[in-house]
Amino acid sequence: MQTFIQLSATALQIGAVYVLFSLGLTLIFGVMRIVNFVHGHIFSVAALVVAYLLPALATGGLSAPAAYVLASLVAITAALSVGALLYIFGFRYFQRDLVGSFILSIGLVLLLDGVLLHVFGGAVRGVPEIFPGRVSIGGAQVTVQRLFLCAVAVLMAVSLYLTLGHSRLGKALRAVSYDHEAAMMVGVPYARIAFFGFMIASLLAAIAGALLAPVTIVSPVIGTDYLIKGFIAVIIGGLGSVPGAILGSIFVASIETFGSYYLDSSYATLAIFGLVIIVLLFCPKGVLGRG
Amino acid sequence: MDRRFPLGLWVVLGGTALLLSLLIQDIYLRSILNLMAISALLATSLRFVMLMGELNFALAAFTGLGAYSAGYLSTALGLPFAFAVLVAGVITALASAVFGAITLRAKGPYFLLIGFAFSEAMRVAYSKIDAVGGTSGMVGIYPPRVFEDWMPFIVVSTVLLLLLAFYLVERSNFGRILFAIRENEDVARSVGIRTYICKVIAISGACFAAGLAGGLHAFVNQVISPGDFSYLLAAFALAYVKIGGEDNFLGPIVGAVLLVALSSYAIGFGGDEHFLYGGAIIIAVLLMPKGVLGLLGKLRLNGAALIGKVSADAY
Repeated sequence: MQTFIQLSATALQIGAVYVLFSLGLTLIFGVMRIVNFVHGHIFSVAALVVAYLLPALATGGLSAPAAYVLASLVAITAALSVGALLYIFGFRYFQRDLVGSFILSIGLVLLLDGVLLHVFGGAVRGVPEIFPGRVSIGGAQVTVQRLFLCAVAVLMAVSLYLTLGHSRLGKALRAVSYDHEAAMMVGVPYARIAFFGFMIASLLAAIAGALLAPVTIVSPVIGTDYLIKGFIAVIIGGLGSVPGAILGSIFVASIETFGSYYLDSSYATLAIFGLVIIVLLFCPKGVLGRG
Repeated sequence: MDRRFPLGLWVVLGGTALLLSLLIQDIYLRSILNLMAISALLATSLRFVMLMGELNFALAAFTGLGAYSAGYLSTALGLPFAFAVLVAGVITALASAVFGAITLRAKGPYFLLIGFAFSEAMRVAYSKIDAVGGTSGMVGIYPPRVFEDWMPFIVVSTVLLLLLAFYLVERSNFGRILFAIRENEDVARSVGIRTYICKVIAISGACFAAGLAGGLHAFVNQVISPGDFSYLLAAFALAYVKIGGEDNFLGPIVGAVLLVALSSYAIGFGGDEHFLYGGAIIIAVLLMPKGVLGLLGKLRLNGAALIGKVSADAY
């Protein structure tokens, strides 16, 4: 029982990050109908900037939490600028062009791989602990840092849910994802809404990167691993569906955690893939997808 | 797409490639020629599936499957070289037919993403199977000693044969069905074409070539490891297709020759492969969507117009 609770807690921690990722992917797909492979690099940029600035700021005399907040703000700004550049000079021209946008994003992935490796170096980088200590929840040990991560992820998911459900922008985003032509006909400014959708998704990835930097080892290729898991979560849940993305993320994280504990981490990866095939066999558009 | 691609051009280009494969003695140049031929085949296979509007990112997985099958058949079971490569192709074709039958029920993004995930899963799987060498890969996949000097010739001629097959299929009725599926699958189905079956056949045909390419790669390199078959392989093939020009049969081949030459040149200066390929794809997609060949065609068209104008002025 103790093990079960501990593993569930771990699954929820990993799932929280996947949720941030897959929400962004599903939002971009819903609004622009593109598959954004370079999403992981927005995450990487944020994580790398935090990992780069934090030690410098901390030795400069700031207290750890203050340095972390400052570094995160810079990191999120940097990642968002990268996202805006990608949109303005690239994806803007490839909306609703699945193959074209995917090819562009693969090119950007390769290019940014090279750029990040050049700028930040290939060495993995550890970040000092920001919030020390751990708490016990129902017998499971959870570090405060991870708890903080989960709290922010839940907060982001809830606020995205509320934004989509109740605000004017959210209504426009939903209208565009159901039928963009009809939405334009009733006066929704599609181009601007698509840009907002892309930037909200980038913000989610940037926050995930800034949050994850202190609890993991940061390297330039870190985004790709999370990207693959995020995509699998979205496929299982159904592209374009917000509850589907959350459900899929928790599901993938659970299999990964329990599989790694009882079998082996590579078998867990294989199990996740097997699962995707089974899901596709029975519901080709994902569990909650509408394509 | 509809451009005539006469027999003469086939003979000239194919003949040149074969002649080069016989004449070049330098080991480094020979390895580059092999790489160009195999890359051209992979890119053509990718383009063939793009004809029906799907992007086959499982290409990396199936190339890997072909390479590992050929390696295992040759080293563990002692099958002769040609037989091992051929059986590897058949295994790959069968596996891809099953894969296609499952994933092609879903369209567009799902097919593409599953292909991507499948490549990564296969990579993990190779590293867990001790019979094929695990993480460190498989070594000692030698072609027979008699063939060793002939390897570039064997590779180039096999690739040429397969390219010819791709070309003939593209010009046949089956090729037209693929175009119809890309333009509008529902319309194609409404006139009685069994599109689902056609798509599965197209995938397994393309992957048969990928499997053979993988098998040749195994024998040329003599060492294969799981890392050789990550999704980057498909990404590079995509770069060849986009740079050369997607609309022309020669596009992927020109792209492969250009980019392989460029990257082996750049690596000499310690350049970064990712950077080069990524930059090439972005430039192609944003600035010359029809690729190098599209650009050349445009120039020639302008030139012809100019000449026409001049001769009209003469009267």
